[in-house]
Amino acid sequence: MAERKRVSRLVALAVVGAVLFGGLSIRMWFLQTVQAEQNEVTVLAVRTRTIRLLPERGRIFDANGRVVADNKRILTVTIDREVLKKPDDRLEMFRRLSGPLEMTVEQLFKRFDDKRFGPLESLPLKDGISEEVALYLGERAEDYPGVYVREDWRRSYPYGAIGSHVIGYMGAILERNLAYYRSIGYEPNERVGGYGVEQTYETTLRGTPGYIRYEVNAQGKLLRLLERVEPIVGNDLQLSIDMELQFFTEQALETQLLLRRRVEAGNYRLEDGSIDPARPEPVLYKSPAGSAVVINHETGQILAMASYPRFDLRWFNSGISRAKFAQIFPVTEDPDLSVLVNRAVSGRYNLGSSFKPFVAYAGLNSGQLVGGAKFQLLDRGTYKLESVPNDRCQQGVKCVFRNAVCASTGAPCRYGLVNVEEALAVSSDAFFYKIGEQILTERGYQPILEEQIRLFGFGSPTNIDLPNEYAGTVPSKALKKRLAEIGAISAEEGEAYYVGDQILFAIGQGLMSATPLQMANAYGTLGNGGNVMQPMVAKALFEPGTPDAKAGVADLASARVIERFDEKAPVSTINYPPEIRDPIVQGMQRVIRGPGVNYDYYHKATGENLFKGYPYRDLPIAGKTGTAQGFGNLPWNDSSAFGAFSLDPLQPFSIFAYLEKAGYGSQAAAPVVKCVFIALSGNYRFDELVPADPLNTASNLAAPPVGLRNPSCLAGGRSGNRD
Amino acid sequence: MAAFVRFRATTLNKSTSLRLSGNLSDPVRNIDWILMIAVIVQSVIGLFIVFSATHLRLIDQNFDPFVYTQRQVIFVILGAATMAVVMALGHEWFRSQAALLYGGVVLLLVLVLVGGAVTGGARLAFDLGPVSLQPAEFAKPIILVLIAGYIADAQPDSLDWHHFVMSLYMVLVPAGLMLLQPDLGSASVVIAGVAGMMYVANAKRRYLALAFGLSVATVAASILAFPRLRYQLRRFDAWLNQDSFREDLQNIVLQVRFAKRAVSTGGFFGKGYLEGPLTNGKYIPVQFTDFPFSAIGEQFGMIGGGVVIALFVVILWRIWRIARMSRNRYGMLLAIGVFTMLTFQIFQNIGMTLGLTPVSGLPLPFISYGGSHLLSSAILIGLVQSIHMRRLQ
Repeated sequence: MAERKRVSRLVALAVVGAVLFGGLSIRMWFLQTVQAEQNEVTVLAVRTRTIRLLPERGRIFDANGRVVADNKRILTVTIDREVLKKPDDRLEMFRRLSGPLEMTVEQLFKRFDDKRFGPLESLPLKDGISEEVALYLGERAEDYPGVYVREDWRRSYPYGAIGSHVIGYMGAILERNLAYYRSIGYEPNERVGGYGVEQTYETTLRGTPGYIRYEVNAQGKLLRLLERVEPIVGNDLQLSIDMELQFFTEQALETQLLLRRRVEAGNYRLEDGSIDPARPEPVLYKSPAGSAVVINHETGQILAMASYPRFDLRWFNSGISRAKFAQIFPVTEDPDLSVLVNRAVSGRYNLGSSFKPFVAYAGLNSGQLVGGAKFQLLDRGTYKLESVPNDRCQQGVKCVFRNAVCASTGAPCRYGLVNVEEALAVSSDAFFYKIGEQILTERGYQPILEEQIRLFGFGSPTNIDLPNEYAGTVPSKALKKRLAEIGAISAEEGEAYYVGDQILFAIGQGLMSATPLQMANAYGTLGNGGNVMQPMVAKALFEPGTPDAKAGVADLASARVIERFDEKAPVSTINYPPEIRDPIVQGMQRVIRGPGVNYDYYHKATGENLFKGYPYRDLPIAGKTGTAQGFGNLPWNDSSAFGAFSLDPLQPFSIFAYLEKAGYGSQAAAPVVKCVFIALSGNYRFDELVPADPLNTASNLAAPPVGLRNPSCLAGGRSGNRD
Repeated sequence: MAAFVRFRATTLNKSTSLRLSGNLSDPVRNIDWILMIAVIVQSVIGLFIVFSATHLRLIDQNFDPFVYTQRQVIFVILGAATMAVVMALGHEWFRSQAALLYGGVVLLLVLVLVGGAVTGGARLAFDLGPVSLQPAEFAKPIILVLIAGYIADAQPDSLDWHHFVMSLYMVLVPAGLMLLQPDLGSASVVIAGVAGMMYVANAKRRYLALAFGLSVATVAASILAFPRLRYQLRRFDAWLNQDSFREDLQNIVLQVRFAKRAVSTGGFFGKGYLEGPLTNGKYIPVQFTDFPFSAIGEQFGMIGGGVVIALFVVILWRIWRIARMSRNRYGMLLAIGVFTMLTFQIFQNIGMTLGLTPVSGLPLPFISYGGSHLLSSAILIGLVQSIHMRRLQ
């Protein structure tokens, strides 16, 4: 009995042993077959270290070869994450590193926890270390397993703030773009172009990273080199921007904006027109921001593009704190204050009368103006809608639209019998109100005006090679519906497209909006004979390694061109025969040179006073003023617009400037355009363009102020008319 | 001294008896050669594994790459000699001296708590210059001998309460001391061995349940009572969370992860001797003592791992068979104690390499580097051989 029980217990023990060893065998089999492949891959990754060799980024030159974005070689200390896996080792390693890197252990731990640095890449600890520190670490590799010194490149911008809105800066990959950059082989902690052409041409400027692959042991010690693939330097980019002209344009724009801030715009008034006794002081123009675009209208190449406020590109790799950065570039709801906006491509602007040439074109090209250039209208200072019956008007529908007020009479200007040419010269609103109304009501309420305006590219992006472009809007039934849907206008307002909408459209107000870039390009179309060009800031793409002719200037003659952008065919061509072209161009010429019209008394053309003394023979131009009414139709909310194009085919420039809340078109924007044309005509001595002083990190200004040394070109008689 | 003389006498007898093909019950004629050969082969494999897992570490530290292997060779020779001595003295001799030996071992376990060398926060061994002496290893066979002898005296059909409690005392005192070192692994191995003996001694199931409960309670209580034992808890934690990123578990988790990967990437044929990247890259800490099976798996793959496991099965089978064949209750119990103890220890060591069991410091018998455990294993095998040799007497 006891014997049998003993045997059975012996057997039971044997069974237990068999089960245990069976378990071991199955487990081993499972690891060595099912999981073997996956583990092989993991182990390979663990046993090898890949150090990325970042390529030198392509440089950026201006039209004349000046280097506007360069690279400096810097040394970065990185550490293998495998070495830091164990907390004890991590503390020990950070203690050892804190001395040579001149960082506290806490800073190193912070770095370790920084989410910017992916868990699979080695951790960059400090960049910009000296050769001595690199040598020190290299000589003591035994004490610093897994610590490597890597060659990196840091972007430098020799001209600081000049052209910053076009050149752009580098920054961390934004969360929303991470998936995209990953998919094309970027590492999450790479810096990429975050603005300007640095962003647009990111992938071609970047080049192709190389790598070194080592086999390492558990301590991160290098065992042997497995593979080395050299990085391929990025392509060089030449801009169409001429930095000298760019600098001048920025100077002129900034000088004028600051001057306008000292000008009285008007007073708060009561309903009867008398000055509000509670707020008797006159209000100055705020004149917070503006932009100007200079374009070669034969090629679409942008020669200068200024946007104010300016900022210095070097802030973006100056290593300043977050708090300091927020101080310099405040995140704000107030559009007047935002700095990191290129207003030339992102500005959403009403254009006022500067838009009238395109309405004139629409009237002529659509056959709406019977007799074309000869069509005349008696401008009595007001225009009463013809399509709305009188009884409706008495019920409160706005039927009467007035011209801008004439300074001399204090009443709406009356210009008498005017044709297209004269209407443009003196900026007769009534004339354009009529075109606006009749092109709608007499043509069966078809969107003729919209279609004509869109021929110039309004309402769609120009697809310039700069980020964040605003497409603009052209008034239409569909636009109103969309605006009502997003709540920008009331649902009731969004129901239909009214004659009133069309009237505002015809003078560049209301729902008509465009960017200064679109305007410059459209003026160019008027100037170049009807070709809608593709605006671009890039002139050419070069193979890597363009040599320097002298310090800071690339040798363009020996550059190997990959692609040129300055020989592009027009995107489209509009119908622009002499019978359409002549009245428009002549009208715009009269804006500059006069004469105006005689009715009651002599009304000067809107630019006549200002452009007196302009070297017309050197560079003949035609232009148009515009004053965009702002919020509440208050005088200090008037924004100033002016566009002009050259009449000389050998100097094919078009310029458009827009100064926010700076006053009448002829007072604020036109002088800037005038200055730039004077400069282009060779009648102004540019300030010498020199590399910027080192960035003053103690300053809280996004960019140090610049002004014209000689601002006399801004001066000139002004028109007192709000047009 | 007397034993030694007798040993010489038996060897003389052997040579004569072989020639005369004399007495079948002559112990020397009854050596279990299969067990013997399996143990020898396993030890030789161990030498190669120890070399593969240590030579690069030694080179790195500017030592002779053969240092550990040479020492292991000496340990194996010493082990063989020890085994021969144990076989010659016989398990009955040990039984007769059990009380004395037990007292000595318990004394050593107490002394090591006071004067032992501190490694990794534990006092496991006396530092004797080039080698260290780990009393827990020597306690293993002694405890088995003492308790096997004690239980064998009990009622033949079943383990009565008195003997049960007394043997519990006998095991729990040294096991408790081991726990304090802290060496949970050794304590559990000893308890497993004794539990195996009690089971086969027909202990009532409730006694066994009680013993089991007591052991668990002892372990739990000591972990609560001695904060420095809490480290042991982390091993369970890491075992349950093998993919954990918790900082405090990283040391253990990484160790096991690399051990598993080493075995896994060995595949069917292995990477070849001295060609294991993880072994060569020193990814697995204390591989040559705690994780030798990872070196086997990586270098020799499923074939090598299978051979080693199979050899262990052969060894255990032979031991079990000896227990089964023994007509002497003491011999049977002792053999089954050795069987249970080795089964537990081998399973525990290979299991932790494969991620099946929590990490402990238990060496892999015959293969791991280390003098104390090799000698201890040699004594265990010597005792078992002695049982086999003298089964017919």
